[in-house]
Amino acid sequence: MRQVAVTGLGAITALGGDVAAFAAALADGRCGVGPLTRFAYTGRCALAAEVPEPAPRGSACDALPRATERRLSRPDRFALVAVEQAVGQAGLDVPALRTAALFVGATVGGMAESEEAYRRRQTGEDRRWRMSRLVGTPLSTTAAAIAQAFAVHGPRATFSTACSSSALAVAEAATAVRSGRADVALAVGTDALCRVTYAGFDALQALDPRGCRPFDRDRGGLSLGEGAAALVLEDAAGARARGARILARVLGHASSSDAHHVTAPDPEGRGALAALRGALASAALSPDAVDYVNAHGTGTRQNDEMEVRVMRTVFGARLPHLPVSSTKAQLGHCLGAAGAIEAVATVLALDGAFLPPTATLRVPDPAWSDLDLVPVAGRRQTSEVAVTSSYGFGGHNVTLVLGRGG
Amino acid sequence: MSDPVAITGVGVVCALGIGVEAFWEALAAGRGGCGPGRRVDTPGLLVAEVAGLEAGRFAFSAQARRIDRTSLLALAAAQLALADAGLTREQLVPASTAVGLGSAFGNLEETAMFLDRVFARGTGNPMLFPNLVMNAPLSYACIELGVTGPTAMVTEQEASGEGAIAWGARQIADGAAQVCLAGGSDELTSGLVRLRRETGTIGAGPPRPLDPHADGACLGEGAAVLVLEGLARARARGASVYAALVPHDGTGIPAPVHGWPVDGDALGRVLAPLVADADLVVAAASGSPPLDTVEADALTGAFGGRRVAVTAPRGATGDFGSAGALGVAAAALAIRDGIVPPTLGCRLPARRGLDVVTGTARRMPVRVAVVDGLARGGMCCPVRLEAT
Repeated sequence: MRQVAVTGLGAITALGGDVAAFAAALADGRCGVGPLTRFAYTGRCALAAEVPEPAPRGSACDALPRATERRLSRPDRFALVAVEQAVGQAGLDVPALRTAALFVGATVGGMAESEEAYRRRQTGEDRRWRMSRLVGTPLSTTAAAIAQAFAVHGPRATFSTACSSSALAVAEAATAVRSGRADVALAVGTDALCRVTYAGFDALQALDPRGCRPFDRDRGGLSLGEGAAALVLEDAAGARARGARILARVLGHASSSDAHHVTAPDPEGRGALAALRGALASAALSPDAVDYVNAHGTGTRQNDEMEVRVMRTVFGARLPHLPVSSTKAQLGHCLGAAGAIEAVATVLALDGAFLPPTATLRVPDPAWSDLDLVPVAGRRQTSEVAVTSSYGFGGHNVTLVLGRGG
Repeated sequence: MSDPVAITGVGVVCALGIGVEAFWEALAAGRGGCGPGRRVDTPGLLVAEVAGLEAGRFAFSAQARRIDRTSLLALAAAQLALADAGLTREQLVPASTAVGLGSAFGNLEETAMFLDRVFARGTGNPMLFPNLVMNAPLSYACIELGVTGPTAMVTEQEASGEGAIAWGARQIADGAAQVCLAGGSDELTSGLVRLRRETGTIGAGPPRPLDPHADGACLGEGAAVLVLEGLARARARGASVYAALVPHDGTGIPAPVHGWPVDGDALGRVLAPLVADADLVVAAASGSPPLDTVEADALTGAFGGRRVAVTAPRGATGDFGSAGALGVAAAALAIRDGIVPPTLGCRLPARRGLDVVTGTARRMPVRVAVVDGLARGGMCCPVRLEAT
């Protein structure tokens, strides 16, 4: 069985337009949550972790006709930027890219742009539908844009399992490489803020109007974010042979379904538990081997409670000595992009020997006062093995196990 | 070589009927599902609507009281497939059962309703929102069937069904699950019909797949779900097996981001090894000229002069994102019964002189059938079935 190496990273988030800015802000505990400006909204919450406009235009757009570029949505553009960074860092050549597999996780695609087109059509500003306004739809458009801009013509799929979409994309990319079905696989997550998800989560009273505070006594919900991340996964032997630097390794992963509720997590966390245990089993590691947990940590009362319960079950008496943090405090919940963004954060933590903090944590929930939740600012610490979990709306869970490179 | 992946159950819901036998009887008899809209408002246009879909027959949990149509189509096909495989919900081992579903657009109808309220009143409807996520069909299916194994919602334009089936076959081949329900669904809405009419992307008359004079597709809706399991396991429990499914990861091909590939030769080279010994190709052709042209070119190249029977079910089922899952169902049934259904609407000579089955069904042994799985944006997700 092959080993799976991570050799390239890309990220565009509220914390910055590239991986270096992302890593620095992550370690500093800078918070990317601020006023919502992408669209007018008058509900309970007015905060979001936005990618500042104008978002950078990836030079990959040069490979696309102008008319095509105009029909790319913001998440399409985010993804092109992130992939360009990841492919650049990995130093992949054209033939390697041509046969690479491509797996994208996303939930909304061009929804924000389509909402505006729908509004114009309904109000009569546009008398009829125009193709030029229907940008970035359907959801698989992002994968098509990446494939055509970078001439990536191997196996391709777009996954949409809500908040675990791009964690699933990373898992599928790792499987493709490990099994030998692809030598190189790109895993990408991308999503942008839109009215449907913002108004939807707000209507469910799942947004914290004060900004999200994962694991805090006073946590009151999530903050929505947006952005994209990309990872280049490849056969570790092949990466070594071509002299690529191995930033981290994907050691294992597992996915599960709650079969419990369309919005709420199973309070017992049975699905999350199966994903965490299954991922460690697939990596042939005991829970004792884990040095850092990048939690799903949305900041809702239900999620964080369920998640700590699962960690107590798996890590037992060792949990107080195991650093656990939620980078969603800084990034917001980037939904379909979250899994890939947090995989990048975890790789950066392993490679840069630091622990990302739970930046907005002030007073931990008293039930968890024994936990090391890495409050406020990052910490220098070397980790060999880290896990990152994503639990999707509708009960779709994915856990990834990552190991230090070198 | 590991145990082959077997298809042991097929569930179909489409304009031709509800249930695999209703679908197959109509398709083989050359009956079409395209007609005037009843649910959707489509003056002067033909659509392929599903009639008589009752939630109470397929959805039983309290949560499913608010199930949306795209999810219900998938759930109905999943329940029918399970019954067709001779399995009950109680016989499934939850953690060893996987579900992979495809959809190109998800829930269009309720997304529009939700937005109407957001624009009018500034707030969203919390009762609708859970249905708007792309994975709602997956979530409902897992809840209704009590399945807790690996799951995926796959979206790949016109090949959303094939993509989900390929993912599902991989779960069985890799040993990640014992049983996998895999397929796809898409719904038809008045809004989609209006959009497609106003942007000039649907035909005026009946669809004519692979007919050189075709002027566009007929929009439809429906779902198909397969039950996949290891062949040895299927035989051991005495299940009847339609065919073996050979997993294929799919291949990207150069194409416009939003459109059909234009280079039939490149596509033909991808398909050639898969169809070299095929008796039947189930085409993606819908009567939409940009698709039908490139597909006819690609198949002509891939066949290399060999005569291979071709059929295009979208002439009868209408065109929708997951219609390819119905194509896979048709291929499985063609192998089981030795019958190739006709391509409704196609008049001979077909594009590039392909051996398109038209008029009445053709009786012939089908050992190998390939669904070519073409999608806009440059994707080819072929599904290859072999007689066992």
